[in-house]
Amino acid sequence: MLALLPQLRRYSRSLTRSGEESEDLLQDCVEKALVNRAQWHGSNLKAWACRIMTNLHFNARRTLRRRPAVSIEEAETLPAPSTEDPLEKGRLQQAVQALPPDARAVLMLVVVEGYAYREVAEILGIPEGTVMSRLSRARQALREKMREENIIPLRRTQ
Amino acid sequence: MNEQTRPTDAELNAYVDGQLDAEARARVALYLADHPEDAALVADWQAQNDDLRAAFGSFEQSRPGDINLLVPRPAPGYWQPRRLTLAAAAVLIFAAGALGGYATPRFPTTPSERLASTDLLPTEARNAFLVYASEVRHPVEVFADDEAHLAAWLGKRLAMTDLKVPNLQPLGFRLVGGRLLPVGGQPGAMFMYEDQTGERLTVLIGRNRENKETSFRFASADGVETFYWLDQDIGCAVSGEISRDMLRQVADAVYRQLPV
Repeated sequence: MLALLPQLRRYSRSLTRSGEESEDLLQDCVEKALVNRAQWHGSNLKAWACRIMTNLHFNARRTLRRRPAVSIEEAETLPAPSTEDPLEKGRLQQAVQALPPDARAVLMLVVVEGYAYREVAEILGIPEGTVMSRLSRARQALREKMREENIIPLRRTQ
Repeated sequence: MNEQTRPTDAELNAYVDGQLDAEARARVALYLADHPEDAALVADWQAQNDDLRAAFGSFEQSRPGDINLLVPRPAPGYWQPRRLTLAAAAVLIFAAGALGGYATPRFPTTPSERLASTDLLPTEARNAFLVYASEVRHPVEVFADDEAHLAAWLGKRLAMTDLKVPNLQPLGFRLVGGRLLPVGGQPGAMFMYEDQTGERLTVLIGRNRENKETSFRFASADGVETFYWLDQDIGCAVSGEISRDMLRQVADAVYRQLPV
């Protein structure tokens, strides 16, 4: 489990909005995995941990959805417009934040975590066709978002 | 330029993700060579993949305190801000529910009003699910290791001496625990279950002595599915973000286990 933490941290960060939120999710996930380790019969520990993390994340999102207004405590953890990030990366992050959580989870599991579609279907407990439609939806949304914000000032060539 | 059938969206996605076999891959590549618009789309997606990996790849790192994550945390104190915010949200939601729904606690008797009032049960069930299923540390008041006490306590508050906590183990859901909460302005019970991956569902039970109806219904809102029924004076609702089919199986198991 210790060896998996870096990859789980990456997945956690790819689902959440801030480093703090990500570490909270990681911690909750590890704790849940340890408590339930007796029930783990599968072969792939990371996939199992990813499933736990996704469920925990969706559980937490439910609460956020009911509180559209940003609470004070949450506001502190919202990513400030970063000056360190290259512009491109900041824009990508914003586009990612705007994705629906279920589509985002699929996209990250496929692209960042490198899972096969069939494995993603198992992790999320959904049919492979649903994986494909969410993936496609995520890509289209990301592309449109990036284009829409890609306002290139016109310059006359010298 | 030869006419080729456009690959499906699924195939284009799989091409970008390197999840096609060699034959299909070659076929899509051949198609893209002749179709610049789709080729541009695919190139965009590939660039997206690279950007995403670059953006999140750097978070794959170990940290000095990692070993501590594997050690159980001490019991949380009341100072924990995250939990407090959730608790406050719970209080607010139930206060709003009480004010909005139960200014008149008696069950109305005309058919149209009765319909409106039975609709409060799934709303309450969904609220309870949304509030408590997201709780990591305090989802319930009494945990499953004290099941006998839980059944006796809630049975007493609901005036159901033979109340047993429904067993959903055969469906893969183990009991997390339960709590007392208002249902229709009266003491009600909530039991929470989860499967081994942490997917949760809740069972809400309330009583209303004046109800003589029997009905079963599905309700769906906010992505939460609720299956609920009124049987004599017992109202029961099962909520979760699971398929209707599974929910129906759960509801069936609960229904058969509740005292008549």
